[in-house]
Amino acid sequence: MDFGFRLSPSSTVDLDKVDLSLYDRLAELDPGVRTCIGCGSCSATCTASAYSGMSVRKVLLGLQRGRMQEVEKMLSNCMLCGKCTMVCPRGINTRRLILNVCRLYANEEGDV
Amino acid sequence: MIDRFATTGFHPFVLPFLLGMWFVLGYCLFGMIRILWELPRKDRRRFLLSLVTPKTAWKNIKDIFLNCLIHVKLWKRNPVLGYMHSSIAFGWFMIILLGHVEVFLFLPERIRLFYYPIFFNFFVAEGESTIQGSVLMFLMDFFLLVILSGITLAIIKRFASLWFGMRRTTRPSFLDMVGMYSLWAIFPLRLLCESFTAHISGGSFLTIPMNRLFAWFFGNDLNYLPTWWAYSIVLGIFMFVLPFTRYMHIPSEMLLIPLRNAGLRVMHPRKGFARVQVFSCPGCGVCIDACPMSVKKENLKDCTVYLNRQLRRGNEKRIAEISDKCLLCGKCTEVCQVGVEGPEMRVAQRSLRKYSINPHYNNIQADPFIDALPAGTRVLYFAGCMTHLTPGIKKSVLSLLDKAGASYSVMDPDGGLCCGRPMMMAGRDEQAREMIRLNSEIIRGSRCNVLLLSCPICYRIFKEKYNLGNIRVVHHSVYFEELIRAGRLKVTRDEAVKLVYHDPCELGRGCGIYDEPRAAVSAVGTLVEAGKNRRESICCGGSLGSITLSYEKREGITRNSVANLMAESPDAIVTACPLCLSTFNKYADVPVKDLATVLDEKC
Amino acid sequence: MDYIAVVGGGIAGMEAAAQLKALGLEPVLIERSEALGGHVASWHCLFPDLTPADKLIKDLESRLEGVDIQLGAEVSTLNPLRKGYSVVLSNGKVYPCRAIVLATGFTLFPAQRKEEYGYGIYDHVITNRDLEGWFGGNGDSRVPESPKAVGFVHCVGSRDIKAGNAQCSKVCCITAIKQAIEMKERFPGAEIYCFYMDLRLFGKKYEDFYIRAQRDCGIHFIRGRVSEVAETIDGRVQVKAEDTLSGKPIKVRLDLLVLMAGIVCNPDSEQFSKAVSMPLDDDGFFRSRNNIGDITRSDRPGVFLAGACTGAKTVPETLAEARSAALNVYQYLKGQK
Repeated sequence: MDFGFRLSPSSTVDLDKVDLSLYDRLAELDPGVRTCIGCGSCSATCTASAYSGMSVRKVLLGLQRGRMQEVEKMLSNCMLCGKCTMVCPRGINTRRLILNVCRLYANEEGDV
Repeated sequence: MIDRFATTGFHPFVLPFLLGMWFVLGYCLFGMIRILWELPRKDRRRFLLSLVTPKTAWKNIKDIFLNCLIHVKLWKRNPVLGYMHSSIAFGWFMIILLGHVEVFLFLPERIRLFYYPIFFNFFVAEGESTIQGSVLMFLMDFFLLVILSGITLAIIKRFASLWFGMRRTTRPSFLDMVGMYSLWAIFPLRLLCESFTAHISGGSFLTIPMNRLFAWFFGNDLNYLPTWWAYSIVLGIFMFVLPFTRYMHIPSEMLLIPLRNAGLRVMHPRKGFARVQVFSCPGCGVCIDACPMSVKKENLKDCTVYLNRQLRRGNEKRIAEISDKCLLCGKCTEVCQVGVEGPEMRVAQRSLRKYSINPHYNNIQADPFIDALPAGTRVLYFAGCMTHLTPGIKKSVLSLLDKAGASYSVMDPDGGLCCGRPMMMAGRDEQAREMIRLNSEIIRGSRCNVLLLSCPICYRIFKEKYNLGNIRVVHHSVYFEELIRAGRLKVTRDEAVKLVYHDPCELGRGCGIYDEPRAAVSAVGTLVEAGKNRRESICCGGSLGSITLSYEKREGITRNSVANLMAESPDAIVTACPLCLSTFNKYADVPVKDLATVLDEKC
Repeated sequence: MDYIAVVGGGIAGMEAAAQLKALGLEPVLIERSEALGGHVASWHCLFPDLTPADKLIKDLESRLEGVDIQLGAEVSTLNPLRKGYSVVLSNGKVYPCRAIVLATGFTLFPAQRKEEYGYGIYDHVITNRDLEGWFGGNGDSRVPESPKAVGFVHCVGSRDIKAGNAQCSKVCCITAIKQAIEMKERFPGAEIYCFYMDLRLFGKKYEDFYIRAQRDCGIHFIRGRVSEVAETIDGRVQVKAEDTLSGKPIKVRLDLLVLMAGIVCNPDSEQFSKAVSMPLDDDGFFRSRNNIGDITRSDRPGVFLAGACTGAKTVPETLAEARSAALNVYQYLKGQK
């Protein structure tokens, strides 16, 4: 049936439908990633944040909320300088996390 | 000397040796051709050219003689081990050489037979005693004795390596054991053979008394053929297993030295130069004790010797693990007798990895950075990412520049681009090159004369990979030391303050800067040395080189490094790297300061 | 005569000694420094009622009449006896003690260890304790005459494994709000920023205090941990953080930055634990027999714990524990007879 109009897609994150397999895989490789408290130290110190809005905090959040395009965009300017690893109060190995996401990303999307 | 087998010049017992010899020569020849084939065309040309350039050719001969036969590097490090290796290598070489001399002098028509120089005493009978003959026989006996002393040491070392100053060694594989036992057996058997035949072929101070003793004991000559068979078989076994054991390092090293002298670098993770490096590893395990990660038992199997072993076995999972864990401090290369480049090999393995997100920086422009810099800058200071987390360094550097009256500006006052070295360490060259291109544009655009750096990680890549024309790239430790010597910085010396200088990996082993920072430290206090220092300084454990080592796993490494620095109980630890500074600061009981801060306090 | 050694003359030690005396026992109060009161004595006033700290100290002191107080003395050795310990002090005195109350407290995190915040490097970066001293009338050249913008950084050396302390220090959030309110009252024109990770305002009336800071003082609360502090050319400090609620990096220039240094374990607690062969907890503090029902007793008979030597505590918690430890001692001695 065509009502002649469409509802705009909901911006709600439906946790029932979020695919967490990439996040789970990352946590399996390094359980430390689950300990993020979202303090934002990594984003604030990031060398690349000025150019792409790079934020490891948001990458981790994006992975848990199924916002893959944002994750990809953010990571595309990372310089791997290691400042985020230095400042993380939980000691998360963010450089390893970033490399792992870059490596495993496509497997999740099923393209390349 | 009389040829006992004048008609044929052959006896079947030489067959095991002969087959082994042909096998190993064929294997090495094939391997060498393959490796040369695998080299990039440019490298191959460079290598072949270097072979005919007199200077490098001479250096090759000298290095092969000094390293492969005399083991000069090992002598310097550990005289007992040095004697053990050079007695076997040089002694064996001399026995083979003297064998050839004997054949050449007495039976020149047999010189083409491979086995004659080796089994000379079997094939000849001593007709009359000559001076030449007895001198040669004396030398033969002498070198055999030298080798036997080396073998004795080797056997002792096998069971008590601690006596030789090695806390940990590798566990040999099965074939390594076969090779090792056959190597041990070769020389005692040779002694037996030559002693049994000494009354026929002649002998000297060692073999003749042995011959008399055996004659008295056994009473007949029937023993000598089985021992010659045994000698040949053991030689054959050794040569057959050689390509599959650690002893492959003997022929490989002779190729590695000319390749290195030609200035080649690891280009492909597995082929060409990398392959020679893998096979040149003698598996001695010196790198295990040297590796800063070895303070934790769980890391013992992540040293370069195990990387090489896994590369030979093709165990991809372990290769990746070992490659990713390493701090890239370069100490294994420094202590390695062969000079296997552990960090370069690992970075090359990392570069094999395929990524589906590939960062790029084409949305970043150099112009805004250049525009922000004042015109007429002579010294451009690049603080770098890490220095932004250690503001004390930045403040001291700028303060010293002010005091020296230098005209300077800061390239990244509010953060800039990364130098590219951390990316390169992760094996992602393409991305690093883009950063290099952008930064180069900014630096050239600033029209400075000097690029000043306080971070050795940046300094190394700026020196090695950037092409900045006439702009001088200098680390602050060198620059400030020059300013002190030139009298532009006046510092006061407090002799009562004991300062220990920690050599950051990238500055010391990476760039060879050891003396200037020490001179600068001495200008303000009494310099004391760490237990292990300079080329053998111990990584702080904070290195960006490691991808997988977690924060918690680094603590032990750092504490060990701090303990090493406290050898002469200094009042403060001085370093010249922001990363070392913040790493040490977490665990040191004495103040940790950057060189710039120490100078600024006394200026 | 059999003594009860009370080690540490902070509020926990003072309260415990006073209670022991009231119970008819003979406490000896041992304090390393030359004055009683510990950390609280260096504070100006206390949350959430802005009670002057020296009033609390005076009250406690007044109840110590007749207690043997050893100032400027440290415990140099503890020798186990058949019943209790022989406590040898650095001033040469020896006390045979039936029981020991450890009230050794905590150490304030040395803020210079977090170099990125610039304490000891920049001219206008101070700690919470420095600010309390300034409130109390000690001059401090680092505090400008009329600051236009003041920042408070929460969790300096707390919840930070890089600083060696993964635990929450419990009192910094409310202390920051208290100090922010006091600053606003002194400099009504100044903008005040609090950079926090999580606000943990759990105690009685704490939330009221928070509301007061928001509504009456207009203090800006920014959810983001400060990552770097730089100095501007005019000598102000520039703070970088992420405003995690908007997801944007922010920076702000301030005239004064106050670091809320956290509560960390005493470096010499390890020595003590060895002397009485009592293991430390994995956070470096003394380990209680039970963290719920038996917090003031240790695993060793005759050794009792009071206050912040077992972890971060508020003032009322510390005082309550001191009383509880005194009762424990009393019952312990009764049981021995």
